Amino acid sequence: MTTTRAFAAPIVTMRGINKWYGGYHALRDVDVHVAPGERIVVCGPSGSGKSTLVRTINLLEPFEQGQLRVCGIDVDANAITRAARLAINRRVGMVFQQFNLFPHMTVLQNLIVGPVHGHGSKRGEARELAMHYLARVGLTAHAQKHPAQLSGGQQQRVAIARALCTRPQLVLFDEPTASLDPEMVNEVLQTMESLARDGMTMIVVTHEMGFARRVADRVIFMDQGQIIETAAPDRFFDQPGSARLQSFLGQVLRH
Amino acid sequence: MNTLFVRQTLIEPRAAPPVAVAVVERWRRMLFPTPAMSVLSLALISLLVVAGWRFFAWAVVEAHWRGGSSAACPGDAGACWAFVIARWKPWLVGNYPADQLWRAWTCFAAFALFWTWVVRRSHAASLARVLLGFVLLPVAFFALLIGGGPLPLVVPTQWGGLLLTLVVTLATFATALPLGLVLALGRRSRWPVVRWVCGAFVESLRAVPLLGVLFIAATLVPLFLPRGLAIGLFARATIAFALFNAAMAAEVFRGGLQAVDRGQREAATTVGLSDFSTLRLIVLPQAVSSVVPALVNIMIAVIKETTLLSIIGVSDLLGAIEIGAKSPDWMGESNVLTSGYVFLALVYFTVCYALSRYSRRLEVQR
Repeated sequence: MTTTRAFAAPIVTMRGINKWYGGYHALRDVDVHVAPGERIVVCGPSGSGKSTLVRTINLLEPFEQGQLRVCGIDVDANAITRAARLAINRRVGMVFQQFNLFPHMTVLQNLIVGPVHGHGSKRGEARELAMHYLARVGLTAHAQKHPAQLSGGQQQRVAIARALCTRPQLVLFDEPTASLDPEMVNEVLQTMESLARDGMTMIVVTHEMGFARRVADRVIFMDQGQIIETAAPDRFFDQPGSARLQSFLGQVLRH
Repeated sequence: MNTLFVRQTLIEPRAAPPVAVAVVERWRRMLFPTPAMSVLSLALISLLVVAGWRFFAWAVVEAHWRGGSSAACPGDAGACWAFVIARWKPWLVGNYPADQLWRAWTCFAAFALFWTWVVRRSHAASLARVLLGFVLLPVAFFALLIGGGPLPLVVPTQWGGLLLTLVVTLATFATALPLGLVLALGRRSRWPVVRWVCGAFVESLRAVPLLGVLFIAATLVPLFLPRGLAIGLFARATIAFALFNAAMAAEVFRGGLQAVDRGQREAATTVGLSDFSTLRLIVLPQAVSSVVPALVNIMIAVIKETTLLSIIGVSDLLGAIEIGAKSPDWMGESNVLTSGYVFLALVYFTVCYALSRYSRRLEVQR
């Protein structure tokens, strides 16, 4: 299994990515390769650059140095165009910490607006696909409601369905459970796990270490804008190679 | 440690106890809670009573109701409603031809119907309704009033009074709203030149008084226009209103656009929407519906500002009343003009207070 992955063309390649927020060096010489079907979990202390990393992949954040290749689209730091951002975003889905559902639309409209107006799908097909994914996240009954009528966990499941409706080759998750009440975290994690079982390529920024252990192929640990350690979950959690990761795990896993 | 407390049966919800304060007691607490407040209450109430009685005496007890000239209202003791009764029709429609008046009444009726419909629909305003009320309706009114084709032409110089006020207000909105939106978007443009031009336009118009803009439109603009391109006073005044209020609306829209969360744009980007689609489908609907109360407030301001038209010689409602008071029949008695002004205030108060209540309700609903 590992061999086939090693030979498949990567879906994400980041080479020597550097990013600054004003004078603050937010990403430092970041190199990441993600093969199709891989599940990557990114973790690290707050301010370590993990959110910036995933937001750079779909060009929500520009970067100043390095090369990026996502789903076959090459982007150089000196030539970040709107066309490239659009092309990448039509192949990559994203789930945000704050859900970011469109409050003036029903759940169903939230799901079909991207396919219809961004991808040129026919309304009927988009609706069918939307109902399919809505059933998948267990919210068929809520299709005609507005986001504000749903619980946080339900909203985040709608957001996941919305990301899937554009048929992405890769889905980015930026702390998808961080703003949920504790009793709603599991329903979202279960949805994500079922997605992982289906072979979706995922990059997940999260503090849910149990999820990382169960689902990830690789876990990336970041601190101060750089990648400190990358390993398969067993090794990552049981034999951390760096003192920083050891102390981080000590903080997160101690309950 | 031992378990200290366990509840086995849940408490069912109960109704709150009734408020057992008598009406008299409630009023006493409202008006006379402390000695100082009692003094203040008494002072204000007596002021209200005296002023109210004086006005009532003037407007009802000593008022003159009948008559066809200022001879009916001798002295300056009571109100001269005879003047209002004799003259109200031209105040509403100006010199609009009598056989074509149904066109003017249709506009008034459509306007009233539209607002009744808007107000009775409970949930918040949508982009479509804003466009219908503020753009489509004014254009339709203008076409109906001016005529052409099967309808005889009635030029704007024949319009007057409240009809003119209504038309100027709506025409101002029909042009100022789209222009204001464009200016607001322009101020957020990627291109610096667009940002500067829009910013300079908005800031310079916000920094001058409307009356100054009106005078420029009335007196200065004709001097600059090439020979043969004469624009009527009415049109010039309307354009001045439109440009001035576009700057006001631009600031309102800018606030609305800023209030849309950044995450909304990002989410729209990640589902594959282009920048234009994001603006049209995600940002604008949210921005516009959040500023409708503020837009209604601009509308109230525009309605009141139309009285400035009479200063540059366009006979709006105020102008029509003043002309009426100067006519040979009604000259010479000061209470004639005063009664006209009170009537004017009443008309403006009715319209603006209704709109203001509506805008307040929209704010509460959000």
